[in-house]
Amino acid sequence: MIAIQSEDVDIGALINGAKKRGTGAIVVFDGMVRDDDIREMELEAYGEVAVPELEKIASEAKETYNLLSVDIIHRIGRLAIGENILVIVVGAGHRTEAYEGSRFIIEAIKAGVPIWKKELRRDGDRWVPGEHRHGSGQKS
Amino acid sequence: MTVRIRFFARFRELLGTDIVVDAKEGTVLSGLVKDVAEKNKEGYDAIFDEKGIFREFVIIMQNGKRVETTAAGMTRVADGDEIAVFPPVAGG
Repeated sequence: MIAIQSEDVDIGALINGAKKRGTGAIVVFDGMVRDDDIREMELEAYGEVAVPELEKIASEAKETYNLLSVDIIHRIGRLAIGENILVIVVGAGHRTEAYEGSRFIIEAIKAGVPIWKKELRRDGDRWVPGEHRHGSGQKS
Repeated sequence: MTVRIRFFARFRELLGTDIVVDAKEGTVLSGLVKDVAEKNKEGYDAIFDEKGIFREFVIIMQNGKRVETTAAGMTRVADGDEIAVFPPVAGG
């Protein structure tokens, strides 16, 4: 399942769904709202582009790491501290592929999928700066 | 012709989103974004530098495909296009 949604994620159901013939390892990545002296986190996505990009990342991960299953669910909207933001469930024959595939997926999402986070802080709101400043214009 | 512009994240807060523009034939991407952004100085300054050049971190998409900002001055828009303008992504 690849989705961007406001609803929470049933991680247990995803794990059960990932158990296929040949599965020997399942790795779950659960990115959540950290208590960095914030009240809440607000997430926004360019869904029409973000979902196909997540699908592309999942396909590439499956092919490169021989994964048997990939689920990526990214949440949007207002989330409280401790809530799930991003859940990635990866199933593979062996742990090495599962760990590496999961790592590939999270790094690819951070590098280029159009999703943004805003911290709603007690001392004022702040858009989280991307780790990849990948515009192409000239520095000014 | 009609072109739709969508700003995201901080740019959306400053300039709005889902803006429908009646553009003239031959309009290029940079000119289109500039015209819309000029309605709000803070929004304009977030996207363009003092020389009117896209800031280096700005990302543009035309119908879901990335267009380098350095090519936006030569890239024409067409009727029905959707143009997206946004800052660096920060998902995950």
